[in-house]
Formats: sequence, structure tokens, C-alpha cells
Amino acid sequence: MILAWPETLWQNLLNLMGEAQTWLFVTWVQPALYHLGMMSYADMAYDATFWFVAGAFQIVLVWIFLRPLESWRPLERWSNRKAVRVDVIYTLISRLGLIGLVFFFTVQPLFDALQAWLQLHGVFNLNLDQYVLGARAHPWLGFVIYFIVLDFAGYWYHRWQHQFQWWWELHAVHHSQRQLSLWADDRNHLLDMFLFQSYLALLALLIGVEPHQFILLTLLSGALQSLQHANIRIHFGWLGERLLVSPRFHRLHHAIGFGHELNHHNRARIYGCNFGVLLPWWDMLFGSADFTTPLQPTGVRAEVEGENYGRGFWAQQWYGVMRMFRQLRRAI
Amino acid sequence: MRRRQFIKSAALTALAPGLLRAIPAWAAALNENVIVLDSAGASVTLIDQRTRRISGRIPVGKEPHHLMLLPNGQQLIVADAIGGELNFLNPVSGAYESTLPGIEDPYQIGFSPDRKWFVANCLRLNRVDIYHYYGGHTLKLARRVPLARTPSHMAFTADSKVVFISVQDSNSVAALDLATQTVLWQLPVGPATAGVWMTPGDEYLLVALTGQDAVIAIDWRRQKLVKRIPTGRAAHNFRSLADHRHVLVSNRISNTISIVDMLKLEKVADIQGLRPGPDDCELSADRRWLWVTFRFAREVGVIDMQRQELVDVIGVGRSPHGIYFHDRAPFYDNLPYAEQRPIPVKSL
Repeated sequence: MILAWPETLWQNLLNLMGEAQTWLFVTWVQPALYHLGMMSYADMAYDATFWFVAGAFQIVLVWIFLRPLESWRPLERWSNRKAVRVDVIYTLISRLGLIGLVFFFTVQPLFDALQAWLQLHGVFNLNLDQYVLGARAHPWLGFVIYFIVLDFAGYWYHRWQHQFQWWWELHAVHHSQRQLSLWADDRNHLLDMFLFQSYLALLALLIGVEPHQFILLTLLSGALQSLQHANIRIHFGWLGERLLVSPRFHRLHHAIGFGHELNHHNRARIYGCNFGVLLPWWDMLFGSADFTTPLQPTGVRAEVEGENYGRGFWAQQWYGVMRMFRQLRRAI
Repeated sequence: MRRRQFIKSAALTALAPGLLRAIPAWAAALNENVIVLDSAGASVTLIDQRTRRISGRIPVGKEPHHLMLLPNGQQLIVADAIGGELNFLNPVSGAYESTLPGIEDPYQIGFSPDRKWFVANCLRLNRVDIYHYYGGHTLKLARRVPLARTPSHMAFTADSKVVFISVQDSNSVAALDLATQTVLWQLPVGPATAGVWMTPGDEYLLVALTGQDAVIAIDWRRQKLVKRIPTGRAAHNFRSLADHRHVLVSNRISNTISIVDMLKLEKVADIQGLRPGPDDCELSADRRWLWVTFRFAREVGVIDMQRQELVDVIGVGRSPHGIYFHDRAPFYDNLPYAEQRPIPVKSL
């Protein structure tokens, strides 16, 4: 009974999103594909329409729940929210599926070819859920497994973003926001978004995530990451902070001088702390967790000291890629 | 005493979900169900054929698109494209029975009429896998035939010598020789080729064009396009009317089902007023009720074929695709109808 209501809620939400998907696809997408002679993409477009609708629902729901909390219990008080506006653009690009669409037409065929090649040479999907007793009859069990495995993969991706200097310059676009809000999660360099999409696709190829569950994982992950970045004074309690990445835990990762800088005074966590995406377990396991340091101002030190990281979307993209090339040149 | 009570209640709490899950499966086994695949929901929806109410939903694979009966008629195969496996269900009740892993990217599947070959169209991997079939669950890979891009639907000649494959993104249809597992020819047909169909006596090969509003009739022996038969926009898939003469064509954009005369090679009627995205169809043995998956409406519909009217709609999931029920009318027009009568299932 306790487990029934989230399932019912999820089903009702799915139905609502399904109605929107049908309307959008039948009224606009499918006729457009037909007239453009692209009907062979109809099935893919139908799925993409769902991603678009699900992303739109997620943005609205997250805004409805978190924005009042940001007003009610703000951690930082700002004179205005102008600096936050650009993050809304990043959120729309990321969550409405634009990156996924570009990925589908550019890199996905390469991944399919790679999978075909691997299978021809006897390397098959692991299909992790097959190794867990009962996962076939109880899909939620498979969901939990993939949730944990993908989060572990996310932790290491995030560490590498900080570890490799050229990569950090791209990731610095995310950290350059000094007014962290519910919109800040998706503020990333387009190239970095693309790299992450490829990383996820490669993982999905290896471990065999079910597409149906992948959508749920993405929606859940996105909502929780919006919460982590929100400007809300909230504490999950001693145990809660260790079960799920909290806004407090993640805000410390964004802290200047503590969370993410190279050559940190503490060599044990030279590239920063609190890299966990949804679960702080990996930080605890690999010695990069910090639950004690008081909250600090967020941002990138170089930007505070005067380097231009750009205010608008295109400026941030341009400076990000220029910084990356500068680092690569130095390395070569 | 208290400890024993605790153990008892804990055991009941642990077992209750399992027992509750078992009830629908047991109840489903008693009924004749319509079995509908939800490809995006990774599940199979069971609908009581009499009451037209959903009697159960079972998780099957990761992306089940199409299904077909084992040649002995005792099990229904559900092909799981993402999971790379075949799932076997009871064809009457839809209850899950077993899984055969290691069949890569099976999108559309089919057995040759002589039951010697099993063919899997690997839509994502751009190839056709041809297996020797030895009965039961015994398959042995004969050859993987590359076929770019996106091999989609298939149809066999009655003598089991040739299988035709629509190659969707290449806007063509290919003929494969089963004995040598080689491509005999590949013929450009039109935008987004989808369903393929053999007319009685293997006279013509019909190819539905999802990128247009037509079915193309091909003289496959001479590899020649014979006639363009206008249907509805986005013609997609076929289903026999089992009268030796007419075949149904689902039209995904115009939301209609066309009835095509296979002798005259012309459309004779349209069933209109359907829900969005008609896709796969199944016809009752008495030819009265046509069940259709409406892929983009997330529903299954029931059409009264006497009135040619949609009379019932049932919501089934996110992307209903393949559909089957055991007491059905003969499916193929190029094979004797008498050989396609439903075989009683022993396990029931």
C-alpha cells in the first residue's frame, strides 16, 4: 500500500505527459516529418517528443516546488536575479532534449556501429539486471541497480572534470555562477554536455539500461540536482546528508577555495571535495567527502580576481572553449 | 510468543507482494487474452477478449516491439530489441514462461514456412541475422547479412526460398536467398519502406510506404514496380482479411485502415475515424472484430468489421506496438489458410 501511491502518481503523471506527447506529435511533429520526407525518423521523433514533454513537465514542477522555497528560506540574499537568467537558457537547452537530438544525428550511429562491431566479436551488453535474482519480475529492482551504477559513473566523470585542467576549463562554466539557484544545474559548456551524453551512451551500451527506466532516472536525477543547486537554507540532518547529496553538501563543492580548485592546501582532496551527483557514498568511500566545513561564497577564484568568464550564453561558451585550447596548447 | 508473532507477520509482509502478483498471472491463465506489447513501457498488457478490460500487465524485456507464434503453436515469442533476447509467453493467456538470451537486436522476427529458418531483423545494427531452426528454442546462427540501413519488416515466399526485407532508411526492399543467406537484389521503392506482404500465389510483393500515401506492387520475379496503389498518408503495415482477396493497410498519419484488393491491385475502401497512429492489427477467427494498436494514441481499438467502425478503445501504455490473440483468422495470404488454424495449446 505504501509503495502503491508513488506508482499511481507516476502513472498519472505519465498519462498526462502521454496526452501532451500525442497532441504535439500528431499535430506538429509527424506532419512536418511527412512533408520534409523524413518519415523514417518517425519512431525516433515520437520518443524525442516524449523527452521534450517530460523535460517541460520537469522544469515546471521543479519551479513550482523550489522557487517558493528559494523566496521563503534563501541561503543568500541577492539584490536581483539578473545573473540567474542565463541559466534558464541552459536549462531549456538541456532538459528539452536539444543536446540529445544533436547527439542522435551525429554520434548515435557511431555507437550503434560500435555495438554491432563489439557483438560481432563476442562482446555483449552486460544487462546488469539479469544478474540480480527477481529483477525480471520486479523492474524497480533493476531501476535501483542502474541508479546506483550510473551515479557511481557520474561521480568519476565529475572528478575527471576537475582533475584534467583542459576539462576543468569547460566545467568552469558551471562553477562560474556565483548566484547558485534552482536553474544552475544545467549551466554547462555545450561541448561538455555532449561529452557527458557520449559517456552515458557508452555506459548504457555496456550495461544495458532499459529506455523506460532511463527516462525516469534522468527525470529524478534532474529534479534532485535542481534541488542541490537551489538557494535554499535546508539541512537533511546527520543521516540524510549521508544518504543523499543535499544543497549544503553540493554548495560546498562550489565554494571558492574549498570545493573545486587545483592545488588545494589539503593534498588528500587536491581537486576539491563533494563530487557526488546524487549519492554522497562515493565521496565517503574515496575520501573526498566534507560534511563539516561551514558554507563559503561560491564561484571561480580567477573570475573573482578579474578574469572574464562571460555574462551571456555565447560569451560563456566562447571563453570556455578558448580557455580549454589555452590549456591544451600548454600541455602540448 | 511475541517473537513468533513478529516472525509470522514479517513473513506475511514479505510474501504478500509476491502472492498479490501471482493472482493476476493465475487469473490471466484462465482467460483468453489479447496480448499487446508496449515497446516504450517494456511490458505486455493483457486484455480479456470478452470483456475488453485489462486483466494484467507483465514486465517483459527492455523494448519489446514485435511478436509471433512458434511454428508448433505452443508459445508466443516476444522479441526484445534492446535486451537482445526472445521471451516466450503462453499464446492464450499471455503468461510469461521463459527467456532465450543471446539473440541480438531482434526487432522484427519470422519463421520460414518450412520451419527451417528463423530470421531476425536487427534494425539498429543494420543487418539481418539468419538462424537454422531445429524446433523448440533451438536456434543456430547461420549468417549475419549486413543490410544498411534499418532493415524493418519481412515476408517469405511460400516455398521458403526467399525472404523480402524492407530497408527503411534506404527506401528500398531487399530479397535474401535463405539457402545461401545472400542478398539476391535490392530495389529502390519509395520513401520509408515499411510493411511487406505476399499476395496469394506469391504473385506480387506489396510494400507499404510510410513516407507516402501508397502501397507499391512489385513483380518480384522480374524486380519491377508494377503499380502504385494509393491508400492513406503514411501507409505502414499489413494484415490479411483472410478471404483470399483483401488485405488491410494501416495508415499512420491519415488515421485510417485501407482495404486493398490484391487481385485488382486497388484500394476498395477506407475504415475512417480511427485514433492516431494505427499500426499492427489482429483479426478474430470469425473475421468480425479487428483489433488495432494505435501507437501514438497509446491505445488499442476494436473495429466492428461488419460496420467498419471503431467501437471500443482501451488505453494500454506508452507505445502499443505488436498485438496477438490465439483464436485468430489466418494471417498470411500466400500460405494455405487451413494450415494456419490455431493449434490448441497443451499447457492450458
